[in-house]
Amino acid sequence: MSVALANYIALSAVIFMIGAAGVVLRRNPLVMLMAIELMWNAANLAFVAYARASMNNAGHIFAFLVITVAAAEAAIGLAIVVIVFRRAEFVDVDEVSVLKG
Amino acid sequence: MTPYGPVAIYLAVALVASLAFCILPGLLARKKPNPVKSEAYECGVEPTSDVSGRFPVRFYLIAMLFVVFDVEAASFYPWAVQMHALKLFGLIEMVTFVVVLAIGYAYVWKRGGFQWR
Amino acid sequence: MLAQPFPLSDYAAILPLTIVATTPLMILLLDLILPKGAPRRDAAVAVGIAGLLLAAYVLVRQYLAHQFAPAFGFGFILGGFSIAFSLIVVAAAIFSLLMVLPQRDDEKVGPSCALMLWSAAGAMLMAGAGDLMTIFLGLEILSLALYCLCGMVLRASPVRLREARESALKYLILSSMASGFMLYGMALLFGATGSVNLAALQAIPAGNPVFAMGCGLFMIGVAFKLGLVPFHVWMPDVFEGAPLPVTAFMSVVTKAGMLAVFARFLYGVLGTDHQALIVPVWIVAGLSMLVGNLAALSQIDMKRLLAYSGIAQLGYIVAALAGTSTLGMRYALFYLGAYTFMNLGAFAVVALISRDQEEDSHLSAFSGLGTRHPLLAAAMAFFLLSLAGLPPTAGFIGKILILASTVAAGYQWLAWLLIAGTAISVYVYIKIVRAMYVPVDLAHIREIRPLSYAPWIAVAVCAVATIALGIYPAALHDVLPRIR
Repeated sequence: MSVALANYIALSAVIFMIGAAGVVLRRNPLVMLMAIELMWNAANLAFVAYARASMNNAGHIFAFLVITVAAAEAAIGLAIVVIVFRRAEFVDVDEVSVLKG
Repeated sequence: MTPYGPVAIYLAVALVASLAFCILPGLLARKKPNPVKSEAYECGVEPTSDVSGRFPVRFYLIAMLFVVFDVEAASFYPWAVQMHALKLFGLIEMVTFVVVLAIGYAYVWKRGGFQWR
Repeated sequence: MLAQPFPLSDYAAILPLTIVATTPLMILLLDLILPKGAPRRDAAVAVGIAGLLLAAYVLVRQYLAHQFAPAFGFGFILGGFSIAFSLIVVAAAIFSLLMVLPQRDDEKVGPSCALMLWSAAGAMLMAGAGDLMTIFLGLEILSLALYCLCGMVLRASPVRLREARESALKYLILSSMASGFMLYGMALLFGATGSVNLAALQAIPAGNPVFAMGCGLFMIGVAFKLGLVPFHVWMPDVFEGAPLPVTAFMSVVTKAGMLAVFARFLYGVLGTDHQALIVPVWIVAGLSMLVGNLAALSQIDMKRLLAYSGIAQLGYIVAALAGTSTLGMRYALFYLGAYTFMNLGAFAVVALISRDQEEDSHLSAFSGLGTRHPLLAAAMAFFLLSLAGLPPTAGFIGKILILASTVAAGYQWLAWLLIAGTAISVYVYIKIVRAMYVPVDLAHIREIRPLSYAPWIAVAVCAVATIALGIYPAALHDVLPRIR
């Protein structure tokens, strides 16, 4: 029942790409945050797969660290999205445009 | 059969059963529609707006706090598993962790972060 | 064995970091206890600066003791390198804290100071990071605190509020995406070598595709955080939207932390075996010098202008590392030190003459400054000349050193780009100097009285340091340690 390492890495690469495409293509900040989460978790998957393949616990610990940091990031992200859109009636980053650039 | 065999059988049964419950009523039930039956609710008022609208902000606040404290709880598990091996060192590390969290918790509490406004 | 995995000396190695990380806890507790208003605000800033000064003292003691110790299984490497970067971070944090009081008199001073210190702690962790895990942890502590800081503007006009919150959102999304790239790069590096330790990454021979891809993604993250050219678009917007002390803080601390990581990666992992992987970095550095200065030409907002000029300045610093020579590392550190003083000096002047909540840092705030505040105008002119790289300032010496090291390393084209960038930048800075000294009708200028005169300390210290390093560069050059 073992799955080859390459399959895990391929899956994680696909997830990473989906995440990156999501950040670039979607305009809803909440969805963009979810896409970023996807990128981070793709890295997690790669870490765990490599850690299992090389019997090195560092990868597992790294993944755990990333999960913790990702939670903090998600909380802060939600908070910022809330303060940006609390007054305004839109949830679309193209309308966030006081700053040109 | 591998140790995961029963799990696979269980999953297959669950999948078939839930699909069956979704599909069978459509095939077997007799349909006699009338205007009253096809209303959204048979009593009460018609919904005035789309239900998939926006959530009030306070739900996001709850989500935020939940995410933070949820993962904080997850951080206890590795320590709990290795508690006896880590002895006093692990305890001190964990107490430090909890104290830092507690200061943050006290700050949020005192500033009204937990109020349902 | 497991009961005490690390010796106590490991904890002594991260003592300055621990001080900077625990001071905010005290600030938050004081914030809860003290009465509202001035005492609470002053206490937050005072405790923050006291903590940073204590950390600086410990760092200097560690430096004088010539401590070099890998701590926590090479997770944190204490040495001249990490101490130098940490000192720069601590100095920048002190100057930025001095700018907090004149900018805001609301209830968020305590949390702002606390977040700034945590952010500085993240940068200090990056300065000493010896493996991918500590790099990532330091980077995220640094960034997460900054996301919050960018949006922390209260009691301002609606436009100003939206500006600040937008900058927080932009920074959050773009920076997290860059972190994602970097993290995936780290995963691939881990996969290629089976270790998260930078020392182990070194052993990989050139031409390993997984390693090359990991390096590439890692470098994208680095370039983003340093604000080098194809990845610089976030910088002007975020710098303009964030509160002034935060902009000042970001302009040095994020760069110093990431530069430490980059230098350690470059010298420790890539070395001279993987030249093909790093050449794009020098191209990017060269582009940054040109694009940063060209874009700065047309800016009318001081924070935005300093953001673009910061892009160019970072280009100079990274160029110093071309050729990966020990000398180049020293020169980069020298320029980073000089940049810290001249850039934060300029920001401190801006903090004294404009206020976030009332007026943005428009260039018009500087018109007639030469007659209104001769001393302040002179200091500002001096900082700007230093940023432009004219003698007799620290910026001049720094640029000469960088030119010397890029030419010595065989990157003549980079040296030419540096000279071209400098030529353009002279126009940028002279424009402000002219605005300060051209006579204007003072009746039309709205004078803003600062809420506090604390930034004067920053202006004075930065001015003295910029002069001192310009006249007697050996003062810093002699103590610049070798990278280890």
